[in-house]
Amino acid sequence: MLGNHRKQFWGLPWMFVFAISVLLIPSLTDTAYGKEAFAESVFAEEAFAKEVSAQEAEAAAEGEPEVEWSNDVFYKDWEGNPLKGIVSGYPAPELEDSDYNTYSFAPSRIIIWIANQQHLYFGSFVLAVPIFCMVIEFIGIRTRDSDPVLASKYDKLAHDLMKISLTAYSWTAILGGILLFTFITLFPGFFKYMAGIFRPVMHVYALMFLAESGVLYVYYYGWDRMSQDPFMKWVHCSLSVLLNLIGTVLMYLANSWATFMQAPGGIDEQGRFLGNIWHVIHSTLWNPVGVHRILGNIVFGGGIVGAYAAYHYLSAKTEEEKAHYDWVCYVAMFIAIFGLIPLPFAGYWLMKEVYAFRQQMGITLMGGIMAWLFIIQAVMIGLLFFGANSYLHNSMSRVAGAHRYMKYCKFMVLLLIVAFTMWMTPHTIVMTPAELKAMGGAQHPIVGHFGVMSAKNTAVNLMITCTILCFLLYQKANKKITVPWQTLGNCCIAAIFFWAAVNIIFLGVYGYFLPANQRVGLSVPQVSSTLTTLFAGTAINISMFKDSESYGEIKWGTQSKVGTYAIFMLAISFTWLMGLMGYIRSAVRLFWHVTEVVRDNSADAYTLTIGEAGKILTFNTLFVWVQFIIVFWVGSLTGKKAVEKKEAVPEGVPVPAQQQQ
Amino acid sequence: MLPEQHDILWTFMTIMLTVFTVIAFINVIKHCREQEGINTKLWGSIFGGFVFISFLCTRHMFTLVQGEQLIFIWTQVGVIFLLLLVWGIFFKSAQIEDQSPPLIRAAFFWLVVGLLLAGYTNWLPQQRSDPPPKGGAQISGDITMEDYAEMGRVIVFGAKQVAGQKAIGKGQCPLCHTFDPGDNIGRCPNLFGVEERSHTRVQEERYLNEPIKVGETDPASGIKKYAKTGEDYIRESLECPSCYVVKGYGKAGDTKSPMPVIVKPPISLSPIEVNAVIAWLQSKDTPGDFSKVTVPLPSAEDSAAQAEEAPAEEEGDKPIFVTGTEDIQAMINTLGCPLCHTIPGVEGAVGELGPVLHEKTNAPNRIADPRYEGKATNTKEYVRESILDPGAYVVMNEAEGELFPDGVMPQNFKNMLSVEALDKLVDFISNTEAPPEEG
Repeated sequence: MLGNHRKQFWGLPWMFVFAISVLLIPSLTDTAYGKEAFAESVFAEEAFAKEVSAQEAEAAAEGEPEVEWSNDVFYKDWEGNPLKGIVSGYPAPELEDSDYNTYSFAPSRIIIWIANQQHLYFGSFVLAVPIFCMVIEFIGIRTRDSDPVLASKYDKLAHDLMKISLTAYSWTAILGGILLFTFITLFPGFFKYMAGIFRPVMHVYALMFLAESGVLYVYYYGWDRMSQDPFMKWVHCSLSVLLNLIGTVLMYLANSWATFMQAPGGIDEQGRFLGNIWHVIHSTLWNPVGVHRILGNIVFGGGIVGAYAAYHYLSAKTEEEKAHYDWVCYVAMFIAIFGLIPLPFAGYWLMKEVYAFRQQMGITLMGGIMAWLFIIQAVMIGLLFFGANSYLHNSMSRVAGAHRYMKYCKFMVLLLIVAFTMWMTPHTIVMTPAELKAMGGAQHPIVGHFGVMSAKNTAVNLMITCTILCFLLYQKANKKITVPWQTLGNCCIAAIFFWAAVNIIFLGVYGYFLPANQRVGLSVPQVSSTLTTLFAGTAINISMFKDSESYGEIKWGTQSKVGTYAIFMLAISFTWLMGLMGYIRSAVRLFWHVTEVVRDNSADAYTLTIGEAGKILTFNTLFVWVQFIIVFWVGSLTGKKAVEKKEAVPEGVPVPAQQQQ
Repeated sequence: MLPEQHDILWTFMTIMLTVFTVIAFINVIKHCREQEGINTKLWGSIFGGFVFISFLCTRHMFTLVQGEQLIFIWTQVGVIFLLLLVWGIFFKSAQIEDQSPPLIRAAFFWLVVGLLLAGYTNWLPQQRSDPPPKGGAQISGDITMEDYAEMGRVIVFGAKQVAGQKAIGKGQCPLCHTFDPGDNIGRCPNLFGVEERSHTRVQEERYLNEPIKVGETDPASGIKKYAKTGEDYIRESLECPSCYVVKGYGKAGDTKSPMPVIVKPPISLSPIEVNAVIAWLQSKDTPGDFSKVTVPLPSAEDSAAQAEEAPAEEEGDKPIFVTGTEDIQAMINTLGCPLCHTIPGVEGAVGELGPVLHEKTNAPNRIADPRYEGKATNTKEYVRESILDPGAYVVMNEAEGELFPDGVMPQNFKNMLSVEALDKLVDFISNTEAPPEEG
């Protein structure tokens, strides 16, 4: 049996390369010195003897060892004192004008921001798509026996997505190169410092990129070949797991540079590396940023795929095409919302770690110069929820039996509007002294109450709960429930949502009577109520579908234009929001390249006004979508060629079964 | 973006609008070729004209800078609206149902939403945050206490204040503290009445013992808790926030303050700035009355001295070290002894924080003191011990009737002195004595 498939194991060499690169990681990371690794492998004993004798001679001559110890800026020992490490690097440079290069057409800071953001957008997309493909391909394999047509649809979708991703992958690499050159040429002094510390990480990153490319090509180009045999299909699916693992490691390695800049560890106050590369990588924000980015990538990827499908839906010429892309819109939307729901919790974790690192940094974000950007974030999140609900409401119209629930949509929209208004009410706004006097203070006596966190937590939890309810109604729209306990089930769902809403509102009001430090704690039970509606509500809802009858099939391909534009809205909002939050995270360093260690002494060390930042965010959003359109177009060229070939087959010529399927 | 540079968004938009006119032109030509009875030359010329005009607009945009671009782009937007109108007429007249490609509609939707978001951000209050100057504030001439307190206020709140908006200066204090009676954001104590409180606070039992006792070193700042006066307390709160934590505002059972050490990065106030903040805190509750301010006014010389120190810090905090080849006056000045000690024979050494150095006469008495638990048996050994281990014997301040504060003198002189320098210093100090009284 195995002999028959011998030719299909040509992916193994790639795995082997990957395995070797993984094995290389410890040797590269354990010691920061390449020359020592070389000496150990070739002239280990001789070099060791020489080093020891040299050290002894030096020690004897000077009376004390050469090793210098210093305190870590972040890590503590078990007694809470700063952890000591052997100084293994040079102090952070005091950067001067000569350490910065500029172009006349734009500030270096803006150029590096754009280069970085464009790379991140594409990186996010190419990391997200393999996650979708893994899940979709797995679902396709699992449904192969029960519903071969649907399984084929899933497989085709995953394959199509990978096709787009492949072009985007090359694009990402090009943008990464542009980013690197921009960094080296415009910020040579700072890059030198970063390269001095992250040297081994950068090399591992490059190796991992090689491994990612190899697995990606095997995964994509081996798709048809490995689909022929059930066993090989599973191997193919497991390649997607490997692809995602490598992608995640890549992302985490790159994250370490950004998190080090924001909250450094593994160095002393002078910025000298203390010899432990893991400490530098694994600084305090590394994990939360990593988790936040994985979820963000899923949401962003879902948004891109949704917009791609929505565009094809609008331009589809046949009913079959329309039905397909309508369905893809739904799947992408589902994935995006799936990632969106836990995203705020990852955000909370990240902010908690920021506060733990420097409370001042957290307050600068939430109550200082960055606070208005969080108001904008609130507006964006509101837009997301409006978009998601609008899509679901419009989608119900193509589901037979949905008329039973569509009458509630207007109330849900009303609730969303009220909650959104509370959510985006600012605590204070800019006023003239006369206006300030007329209003009797910085806060309005009535509206001002909606500007505090009690109101905002309540509003956002109600919005999420409303979206969950909408989703549950959508799920059961074409189901005629037949289980004997359907009344009890419906009552349970209604009770869960009712009491969740009561609890959320009660805690919101109660918060006004508590001091700030205790009020913060109320957000936990509020979020718990929301999560209860999600998990318990969905579980009961799905349980009720057992043996249910259908009011009719979903009429794929009849999505209204409003619903389709809602998908566009979601995609724009995700893109803009991702840029915004990235800017906030990075800009909170204020005038530091590396917080408190390497000061930004360039002419661009100021923090932009919100308006300036907003224009760059819009530019980044529009620019990246222009590129996505180009990438999609390039990706579609292969498809057109395949279609043309298929159409060129003369009648009567037998078509292989694989193509018929 | 600088005012003399192009605006990236408007520049991008003008290019995209011209690309759009090209797409519209191609679309029209395509329809003309697909359908019979349409005047291709007429419509081709019209839409070609739009491409040409839009191209000229784009070219002109590249000669403009930010503000001008924002004004001019409306002209191009007007051209595009006209194009859309003509395009509609074209579709209508040619009875074409499948009108503009979805890509165009989607792109316009994208553009409108994106620009609305950019517009929204420009509608909000605009505040640019500039980095604080390196090396701290400079004093150019004689100033009054009112000026000095105002300097402190600017450090706290910044120079510009916008009504209804929280203003934050270099010190970043308003992020957490409030200053008006009854105002409290719950993060850190309200500083109304801090001057009055500072005097009683240092007498409180809790201050003397929690979270560390007076005289003990705070590990975060490396400072020994020392405050005895109101001014000391405020200064200590800035330099060593965890030396005392107001109840209910700390972490780990009110033993650690969330406040950063103000004299270290990222805030890094200079000594002159710290004093300015103290002057403002001591006078802010009594506008116009500066009688409660106890910090000295800085002079231009102080500022110059601080400015000279700053580059030294910037050179990687180069540690102080004397080799012994310097003359004794330079050596003592480098080590900073005159800041606290009065030393006969050293010009300008009139410090009063530590004991007067009359060691030729004082050292034998101290060795004989029953409180003395050191190992010295003669003057030189005593002086050497006092330099290397200042806490071995704490001298009595006869004028105040109490011991001089322990822990104020640096503990790391052994890292600042070569063997030769230490010997030279010990020789000199061991021979200091009170100058003979005149007349």
